[in-house]
Amino acid sequence: MNAITLSGLYKRFGAFVALDGVDLTIPAGCVFGLLGPNGAGKTTTFKCMLGLVRATSGTVAFDGAPLTPATFEHIGYIPERSVLYDWMTVREHIEYMRHSFARFDPSKAHALLEQLGVGDDRKRVRALSKGMRTATAVALAFARQPDILILDEPTSGLDPINQRTVLNLIINEAARGATILFSSHQIGQVERAAERIGVMQRGRIVLEGAVDDLKAGRKIVEGILPSETFAIDGFAANPNIDRIERSGRVVRAFVHQQPDAVAADLTQLGAGGIRVVDLNLEDIFLDAVSPGTSTASVVEEA
Amino acid sequence: MPAILTVDPRSGVPIYLQIIEQVKRSVALGALTPGEQLPTVKQLALDLTVNPNTVARAYRDLEHDGVIETASGRGSFVRAGNGAANVSLAAGRDVAREGIDAALREAKSLGLQRSDVAHLVELSLTRWFPEDV
Repeated sequence: MNAITLSGLYKRFGAFVALDGVDLTIPAGCVFGLLGPNGAGKTTTFKCMLGLVRATSGTVAFDGAPLTPATFEHIGYIPERSVLYDWMTVREHIEYMRHSFARFDPSKAHALLEQLGVGDDRKRVRALSKGMRTATAVALAFARQPDILILDEPTSGLDPINQRTVLNLIINEAARGATILFSSHQIGQVERAAERIGVMQRGRIVLEGAVDDLKAGRKIVEGILPSETFAIDGFAANPNIDRIERSGRVVRAFVHQQPDAVAADLTQLGAGGIRVVDLNLEDIFLDAVSPGTSTASVVEEA
Repeated sequence: MPAILTVDPRSGVPIYLQIIEQVKRSVALGALTPGEQLPTVKQLALDLTVNPNTVARAYRDLEHDGVIETASGRGSFVRAGNGAANVSLAAGRDVAREGIDAALREAKSLGLQRSDVAHLVELSLTRWFPEDV
Protein backbone atom coordinates (compact mmCIF):
# COMPACT_ATOMS: atom_id res chain seq x y z
CA MET A 1 0.00 0.00 0.00
CA ASN A 2 1.22 3.47 -0.83
CA ALA A 3 0.73 6.14 1.79
CA ILE A 4 1.52 9.06 -0.49
CA THR A 5 1.40 9.33 -4.28
CA LEU A 6 2.36 12.45 -6.22
CA SER A 7 1.54 12.39 -9.92
CA GLY A 8 2.72 14.98 -12.39
CA LEU A 9 2.87 17.71 -9.77
CA TYR A 10 3.49 20.98 -11.59
CA LYS A 11 3.72 24.44 -10.03
CA ARG A 12 4.45 27.74 -11.69
CA PHE A 13 5.01 31.02 -9.86
CA GLY A 14 4.64 33.58 -12.67
CA ALA A 15 7.29 32.63 -15.20
CA PHE A 16 9.21 30.46 -12.71
CA VAL A 17 8.56 26.74 -12.85
CA ALA A 18 9.04 25.52 -9.26
CA LEU A 19 7.82 21.97 -9.82
CA ASP A 20 8.21 20.46 -13.24
CA GLY A 21 6.26 17.23 -13.07
CA VAL A 22 7.04 15.54 -9.76
CA ASP A 23 6.12 11.85 -9.62
CA LEU A 24 6.77 10.20 -6.30
CA THR A 25 5.42 7.20 -4.47
CA ILE A 26 6.03 6.64 -0.78
CA PRO A 27 5.04 3.21 0.54
CA ALA A 28 3.21 2.98 3.86
CA GLY A 29 5.61 2.63 6.79
CA CYS A 30 8.56 3.98 4.83
CA VAL A 31 10.99 6.67 5.94
CA PHE A 32 11.69 8.67 2.82
CA GLY A 33 14.46 11.26 2.66
CA LEU A 34 14.19 14.07 0.15
CA LEU A 35 17.51 15.59 -0.88
CA GLY A 36 18.24 18.45 -3.22
CA PRO A 37 20.09 21.71 -3.56
CA ASN A 38 18.45 24.92 -2.30
CA GLY A 39 15.66 25.98 -4.61
CA ALA A 40 15.17 22.48 -6.03
CA GLY A 41 11.50 22.48 -5.02
CA LYS A 42 11.44 20.41 -1.81
CA THR A 43 9.50 22.91 0.29
CA THR A 44 7.10 23.71 -2.57
CA THR A 45 6.46 19.97 -2.94
CA PHE A 46 5.58 19.69 0.76
CA LYS A 47 3.31 22.74 0.59
CA CYS A 48 1.51 21.45 -2.49
CA MET A 49 1.03 18.07 -0.80
CA LEU A 50 -0.61 19.73 2.18
CA GLY A 51 -2.72 22.13 0.13
CA LEU A 52 -0.87 25.16 1.54
CA VAL A 53 0.09 26.05 -2.03
CA ARG A 54 -2.22 25.18 -4.90
CA ALA A 55 -0.45 23.14 -7.58
CA THR A 56 -0.84 24.41 -11.15
CA SER A 57 -1.60 20.83 -12.16
CA GLY A 58 -1.05 17.27 -10.97
CA THR A 59 -2.45 15.29 -8.08
CA VAL A 60 -1.57 14.27 -4.54
CA ALA A 61 -3.17 11.25 -2.90
CA PHE A 62 -2.96 9.97 0.67
CA ASP A 63 -3.87 6.29 0.86
CA GLY A 64 -5.23 6.71 -2.65
CA ALA A 65 -7.57 9.58 -1.81
CA PRO A 66 -7.24 13.36 -2.13
CA LEU A 67 -6.45 15.40 0.98
CA THR A 68 -9.48 16.14 3.15
CA PRO A 69 -9.79 17.83 6.54
CA ALA A 70 -10.18 14.33 8.02
CA THR A 71 -6.86 13.25 6.47
CA PHE A 72 -5.19 16.23 8.09
CA GLU A 73 -5.88 14.76 11.52
CA HIS A 74 -3.43 11.97 10.65
CA ILE A 75 -0.68 14.13 9.18
CA GLY A 76 1.97 15.90 11.22
CA TYR A 77 3.88 18.67 9.47
CA ILE A 78 6.95 20.63 10.48
CA PRO A 79 7.43 23.50 8.05
CA GLU A 80 10.77 24.92 7.08
CA ARG A 81 9.96 28.11 8.96
CA SER A 82 8.43 27.76 12.38
CA VAL A 83 4.68 28.34 12.58
CA LEU A 84 4.76 28.87 16.32
CA TYR A 85 3.16 32.01 17.68
CA ASP A 86 5.77 34.38 19.09
CA TRP A 87 3.42 35.76 21.75
CA MET A 88 2.30 32.38 23.09
CA THR A 89 4.16 30.31 25.65
CA VAL A 90 5.22 26.74 24.93
CA ARG A 91 2.60 25.51 27.43
CA GLU A 92 -0.11 27.51 25.65
CA HIS A 93 0.88 25.83 22.39
CA ILE A 94 0.40 22.46 24.03
CA GLU A 95 -3.07 23.49 25.23
CA TYR A 96 -3.92 24.82 21.78
CA MET A 97 -2.79 21.57 20.11
CA ARG A 98 -4.72 19.49 22.64
CA HIS A 99 -7.93 21.25 21.66
CA SER A 100 -7.18 21.12 17.93
CA PHE A 101 -6.15 17.49 17.49
CA ALA A 102 -7.95 14.53 19.03
CA ARG A 103 -4.87 12.30 19.13
CA PHE A 104 -2.53 14.93 20.58
CA ASP A 105 -0.87 13.57 23.71
CA PRO A 106 0.14 16.41 26.10
CA SER A 107 2.24 14.14 28.32
CA LYS A 108 4.21 12.95 25.30
CA ALA A 109 4.72 16.60 24.30
CA HIS A 110 6.10 17.39 27.76
CA ALA A 111 8.36 14.34 27.69
CA LEU A 112 9.73 15.28 24.26
CA LEU A 113 10.30 18.90 25.31
CA GLU A 114 12.21 17.63 28.33
CA GLN A 115 14.23 15.26 26.15
CA LEU A 116 15.08 18.04 23.71
CA GLY A 117 16.12 20.39 26.48
CA VAL A 118 13.20 22.82 26.35
CA GLY A 119 12.83 22.71 30.09
CA ASP A 120 10.71 25.72 30.91
CA ASP A 121 7.37 25.60 29.08
CA ARG A 122 6.29 28.97 30.52
CA LYS A 123 8.65 30.76 28.15
CA ARG A 124 7.15 32.64 25.25
CA VAL A 125 8.27 31.41 21.83
CA ARG A 126 9.74 34.87 21.21
CA ALA A 127 12.29 34.17 23.97
CA LEU A 128 13.44 30.85 22.50
CA SER A 129 16.58 30.39 20.42
CA LYS A 130 16.22 29.12 16.83
CA GLY A 131 17.21 25.63 17.89
CA MET A 132 14.72 25.61 20.78
CA ARG A 133 11.95 26.72 18.40
CA THR A 134 12.73 23.85 16.09
CA ALA A 135 12.79 21.51 19.09
CA THR A 136 9.39 22.81 20.22
CA ALA A 137 7.93 22.35 16.72
CA VAL A 138 9.32 18.80 16.67
CA ALA A 139 7.85 17.96 20.08
CA LEU A 140 4.41 19.33 19.12
CA ALA A 141 4.34 17.49 15.77
CA PHE A 142 5.43 14.14 17.22
CA ALA A 143 3.04 14.40 20.17
CA ARG A 144 0.16 14.36 17.68
CA GLN A 145 1.09 10.71 16.99
CA PRO A 146 0.30 11.05 13.31
CA ASP A 147 0.31 8.20 10.78
CA ILE A 148 2.14 10.42 8.32
CA LEU A 149 4.86 12.91 9.21
CA ILE A 150 6.09 15.50 6.74
CA LEU A 151 9.20 17.18 8.07
CA ASP A 152 10.88 20.04 6.23
CA GLU A 153 14.42 20.12 7.57
CA PRO A 154 13.46 18.98 11.07
CA THR A 155 17.01 19.19 12.41
CA SER A 156 18.02 22.59 11.09
CA GLY A 157 19.44 24.79 13.83
CA LEU A 158 19.65 21.93 16.33
CA ASP A 159 22.84 21.04 18.16
CA PRO A 160 24.37 17.62 17.35
CA ILE A 161 22.83 15.99 20.44
CA ASN A 162 19.32 17.15 19.58
CA GLN A 163 19.86 16.25 15.93
CA ARG A 164 20.54 12.69 17.06
CA THR A 165 17.49 12.80 19.35
CA VAL A 166 15.26 13.86 16.45
CA LEU A 167 16.69 11.10 14.25
CA ASN A 168 15.87 8.60 16.96
CA LEU A 169 12.35 10.06 17.24
CA ILE A 170 11.95 9.48 13.51
CA ILE A 171 13.24 5.91 13.91
CA ASN A 172 10.92 5.34 16.85
CA GLU A 173 7.88 6.55 14.88
CA ALA A 174 8.95 4.43 11.91
CA ALA A 175 9.13 1.36 14.17
CA ARG A 176 5.56 2.21 15.22
CA GLY A 177 4.58 2.03 11.55
CA ALA A 178 4.34 5.73 10.69
CA THR A 179 5.16 6.93 7.19
CA ILE A 180 7.72 9.73 7.26
CA LEU A 181 8.83 12.09 4.53
CA PHE A 182 11.65 14.42 5.51
CA SER A 183 14.10 16.73 3.85
CA SER A 184 17.59 17.54 5.03
CA HIS A 185 20.84 18.93 3.75
CA GLN A 186 22.68 16.63 6.15
CA ILE A 187 23.19 13.61 3.96
CA GLY A 188 24.62 11.59 6.85
CA GLN A 189 21.28 11.85 8.66
CA VAL A 190 19.34 10.76 5.60
CA GLU A 191 21.79 7.89 5.17
CA ARG A 192 20.93 6.67 8.66
CA ALA A 193 17.22 7.25 9.02
CA ALA A 194 15.85 6.87 5.50
CA GLU A 195 15.02 3.61 3.82
CA ARG A 196 14.37 5.29 0.48
CA ILE A 197 15.56 8.59 -0.93
CA GLY A 198 14.63 10.96 -3.71
CA VAL A 199 16.94 13.57 -5.16
CA MET A 200 15.27 16.72 -6.49
CA GLN A 201 16.75 19.18 -8.88
CA ARG A 202 15.09 22.04 -10.73
CA GLY A 203 11.61 20.86 -9.83
CA ARG A 204 12.09 17.24 -10.84
CA ILE A 205 12.98 13.98 -9.14
CA VAL A 206 16.28 13.05 -10.78
CA LEU A 207 17.03 9.96 -8.70
CA GLU A 208 14.92 7.73 -6.47
CA GLY A 209 15.41 4.39 -4.76
CA ALA A 210 16.21 2.39 -1.63
CA VAL A 211 19.43 3.65 0.00
CA ASP A 212 20.89 0.14 0.32
CA ASP A 213 20.03 -0.74 -3.29
CA LEU A 214 21.53 2.50 -4.59
CA LYS A 215 24.73 1.79 -2.67
CA ALA A 216 24.85 -1.82 -3.83
CA GLY A 217 24.30 -0.90 -7.48
CA ARG A 218 26.04 2.43 -7.94
CA LYS A 219 29.79 1.95 -8.17
CA ILE A 220 32.71 3.20 -10.16
CA VAL A 221 34.37 0.41 -12.13
CA GLU A 222 37.90 1.44 -12.91
CA GLY A 223 40.49 -0.18 -15.13
CA ILE A 224 43.67 0.51 -17.03
CA LEU A 225 43.45 0.10 -20.82
CA PRO A 226 46.25 -1.23 -23.05
CA SER A 227 46.64 2.20 -24.68
CA GLU A 228 45.30 5.75 -24.45
CA THR A 229 43.49 5.37 -27.75
CA PHE A 230 42.13 1.88 -27.08
CA ALA A 231 38.61 1.61 -28.55
CA ILE A 232 35.93 0.82 -25.98
CA ASP A 233 32.78 1.62 -27.97
CA GLY A 234 31.20 -1.78 -27.41
CA PHE A 235 31.92 -1.67 -23.67
CA ALA A 236 30.65 1.91 -23.34
CA ALA A 237 27.31 0.88 -24.85
CA ASN A 238 26.58 -1.33 -21.81
CA PRO A 239 23.18 -0.13 -20.51
CA ASN A 240 24.36 -0.51 -16.88
CA ILE A 241 26.85 2.32 -17.44
CA ASP A 242 25.66 5.90 -16.99
CA ARG A 243 28.80 7.57 -18.26
CA ILE A 244 32.48 7.03 -18.76
CA GLU A 245 35.46 9.15 -17.89
CA ARG A 246 38.84 8.55 -19.52
CA SER A 247 42.11 10.00 -18.42
CA GLY A 248 45.19 8.64 -20.15
CA ARG A 249 44.94 4.86 -20.00
CA VAL A 250 42.60 4.93 -17.02
CA VAL A 251 38.92 4.36 -17.73
CA ARG A 252 36.23 4.86 -15.13
CA ALA A 253 32.68 3.70 -15.68
CA PHE A 254 29.89 5.08 -13.49
CA VAL A 255 27.58 2.11 -13.09
CA HIS A 256 24.05 2.09 -11.68
CA GLN A 257 23.58 -1.66 -11.50
CA GLN A 258 25.44 -4.96 -11.82
CA PRO A 259 28.93 -3.54 -11.15
CA ASP A 260 30.45 -7.03 -11.09
CA ALA A 261 29.19 -7.75 -14.61
CA VAL A 262 30.64 -4.45 -15.83
CA ALA A 263 33.95 -5.29 -14.13
CA ALA A 264 33.95 -8.67 -15.90
CA ASP A 265 33.30 -6.96 -19.26
CA LEU A 266 36.18 -4.57 -18.67
CA THR A 267 38.48 -7.49 -17.84
CA GLN A 268 37.32 -9.24 -21.02
CA LEU A 269 38.31 -6.12 -22.94
CA GLY A 270 41.89 -6.60 -21.80
CA ALA A 271 41.97 -3.90 -19.14
CA GLY A 272 44.06 -4.48 -16.01
CA GLY A 273 43.95 -3.15 -12.46
CA ILE A 274 40.19 -3.49 -12.28
CA ARG A 275 38.76 -1.91 -9.17
CA VAL A 276 35.19 -1.49 -8.04
CA VAL A 277 34.92 1.69 -5.97
CA ASP A 278 32.07 2.03 -3.46
CA LEU A 279 30.06 5.24 -3.46
CA ASN A 280 28.39 6.61 -0.37
CA LEU A 281 25.15 8.57 -0.44
CA GLU A 282 26.95 11.89 -0.70
CA ASP A 283 28.84 10.69 -3.79
CA ILE A 284 25.62 9.34 -5.29
CA PHE A 285 23.78 12.58 -4.52
CA LEU A 286 26.49 14.81 -5.97
CA ASP A 287 26.75 12.68 -9.06
CA ALA A 288 22.98 12.89 -9.55
CA VAL A 289 22.81 16.68 -9.30
CA SER A 290 26.06 17.48 -11.08
CA PRO A 291 27.86 14.59 -12.75
CA GLY A 292 31.61 14.68 -12.41
CA THR A 293 31.88 16.52 -9.10
CA SER A 294 31.50 13.67 -6.63
CA THR A 295 34.15 13.46 -3.94
CA ALA A 296 34.86 9.92 -5.07
CA SER A 297 36.03 11.24 -8.43
CA VAL A 298 38.28 13.78 -6.80
CA VAL A 299 39.82 11.28 -4.40
CA GLU A 300 40.40 8.75 -7.16
CA GLU A 301 42.21 11.24 -9.34
CA ALA A 302 44.50 12.35 -6.55
CA MET B 1 25.44 -6.90 21.93
CA PRO B 2 25.12 -3.23 20.94
CA ALA B 3 28.58 -2.70 22.35
CA ILE B 4 30.11 -4.97 19.73
CA LEU B 5 27.97 -3.81 16.83
CA THR B 6 28.75 -0.58 15.05
CA VAL B 7 27.88 0.59 11.58
CA ASP B 8 29.39 3.27 9.41
CA PRO B 9 26.44 4.78 7.56
CA ARG B 10 28.78 6.93 5.44
CA SER B 11 30.41 3.86 3.98
CA GLY B 12 29.50 2.75 0.47
CA VAL B 13 28.67 -0.67 1.90
CA PRO B 14 24.92 -0.96 2.52
CA ILE B 15 24.11 -0.77 6.25
CA TYR B 16 22.20 -4.07 6.27
CA LEU B 17 25.28 -5.84 4.91
CA GLN B 18 27.42 -4.27 7.63
CA ILE B 19 25.02 -5.59 10.28
CA ILE B 20 24.99 -9.08 8.74
CA GLU B 21 28.79 -9.20 8.59
CA GLN B 22 29.18 -8.10 12.20
CA VAL B 23 26.59 -10.47 13.60
CA LYS B 24 28.26 -13.37 11.73
CA ARG B 25 31.65 -12.29 13.02
CA SER B 26 30.31 -12.11 16.58
CA VAL B 27 28.75 -15.57 16.27
CA ALA B 28 31.97 -17.00 14.80
CA LEU B 29 34.01 -15.55 17.65
CA GLY B 30 31.55 -16.64 20.30
CA ALA B 31 30.77 -13.08 21.35
CA LEU B 32 27.22 -14.10 20.55
CA THR B 33 26.46 -17.61 21.78
CA PRO B 34 23.82 -20.12 20.62
CA GLY B 35 20.45 -19.29 22.08
CA GLU B 36 21.47 -15.76 22.97
CA GLN B 37 18.80 -13.18 22.32
CA LEU B 38 19.44 -10.36 19.90
CA PRO B 39 18.02 -6.90 20.46
CA THR B 40 14.63 -6.32 18.90
CA VAL B 41 14.60 -4.66 15.50
CA LYS B 42 13.40 -1.44 17.08
CA GLN B 43 16.01 -1.52 19.86
CA LEU B 44 18.92 -2.15 17.51
CA ALA B 45 17.62 0.54 15.11
CA LEU B 46 17.60 3.02 18.00
CA ASP B 47 20.99 1.87 19.35
CA LEU B 48 22.63 2.28 15.94
CA THR B 49 20.40 5.19 14.81
CA VAL B 50 19.50 3.48 11.57
CA ASN B 51 16.23 2.75 9.81
CA PRO B 52 14.27 -0.13 11.43
CA ASN B 53 13.47 -1.71 8.05
CA THR B 54 17.21 -1.86 7.38
CA VAL B 55 17.71 -3.84 10.59
CA ALA B 56 14.71 -6.03 9.76
CA ARG B 57 16.23 -6.79 6.35
CA ALA B 58 19.54 -7.81 7.99
CA TYR B 59 17.68 -10.08 10.45
CA ARG B 60 15.71 -11.68 7.60
CA ASP B 61 18.91 -12.44 5.70
CA LEU B 62 20.63 -13.76 8.85
CA GLU B 63 17.66 -16.03 9.42
CA HIS B 64 17.80 -17.18 5.81
CA ASP B 65 21.53 -17.96 6.26
CA GLY B 66 20.70 -20.05 9.34
CA VAL B 67 22.58 -17.82 11.78
CA ILE B 68 19.61 -16.66 13.81
CA GLU B 69 16.05 -17.79 14.32
CA THR B 70 13.03 -15.70 15.07
CA ALA B 71 10.24 -16.94 17.27
CA SER B 72 7.17 -14.85 16.61
CA GLY B 73 6.42 -12.67 19.60
CA ARG B 74 9.54 -13.71 21.49
CA GLY B 75 12.27 -12.11 19.42
CA SER B 76 15.39 -13.22 17.55
CA PHE B 77 18.02 -15.61 18.89
CA VAL B 78 21.33 -17.03 17.73
CA ARG B 79 20.45 -20.45 16.39
CA ALA B 80 20.68 -23.15 19.01
CA GLY B 81 19.77 -26.83 19.13
CA ASN B 82 21.12 -29.59 16.87
CA GLY B 83 22.91 -27.45 14.32
CA ALA B 84 24.27 -25.00 16.90
CA ALA B 85 27.87 -26.20 16.83
CA ASN B 86 27.96 -25.69 13.09
CA VAL B 87 26.41 -22.25 13.17
CA SER B 88 29.49 -20.45 14.44
CA LEU B 89 31.69 -22.43 12.04
CA ALA B 90 29.41 -21.57 9.11
CA ALA B 91 29.29 -17.91 10.15
CA GLY B 92 33.09 -17.83 10.33
CA ARG B 93 33.30 -19.42 6.88
CA ASP B 94 30.95 -16.79 5.45
CA VAL B 95 33.04 -13.92 6.79
CA ALA B 96 36.35 -15.52 5.74
CA ARG B 97 35.04 -16.32 2.26
CA GLU B 98 34.31 -12.63 1.66
CA GLY B 99 37.87 -11.71 2.61
CA ILE B 100 39.47 -14.45 0.52
CA ASP B 101 37.26 -13.55 -2.41
CA ALA B 102 38.27 -9.90 -2.22
CA ALA B 103 41.97 -10.83 -2.11
CA LEU B 104 41.71 -13.14 -5.12
CA ARG B 105 39.70 -10.55 -7.09
CA GLU B 106 42.48 -8.07 -6.40
CA ALA B 107 45.11 -10.59 -7.51
CA LYS B 108 43.23 -11.18 -10.74
CA SER B 109 42.85 -7.47 -11.48
CA LEU B 110 46.61 -7.10 -10.98
CA GLY B 111 47.09 -9.56 -13.82
CA LEU B 112 48.34 -12.55 -11.83
CA GLN B 113 47.86 -16.02 -13.25
CA ARG B 114 46.00 -18.82 -11.50
CA SER B 115 49.25 -20.67 -10.80
CA ASP B 116 50.82 -17.54 -9.27
CA VAL B 117 47.83 -17.09 -7.02
CA ALA B 118 47.77 -20.77 -6.03
CA HIS B 119 51.39 -20.44 -4.98
CA LEU B 120 50.62 -17.32 -2.90
CA VAL B 121 47.70 -19.08 -1.25
CA GLU B 122 50.01 -22.01 -0.39
CA LEU B 123 52.50 -19.60 1.22
CA SER B 124 49.72 -17.97 3.27
CA LEU B 125 48.41 -21.35 4.37
CA THR B 126 51.87 -22.42 5.48
CA ARG B 127 52.28 -19.23 7.43
CA TRP B 128 48.92 -19.23 9.19
CA PHE B 129 48.16 -22.96 9.39
CA PRO B 130 51.58 -24.56 9.82
CA GLU B 131 50.25 -27.67 11.58
CA ASP B 132 48.23 -28.62 8.53
CA VAL B 133 51.24 -28.79 6.18
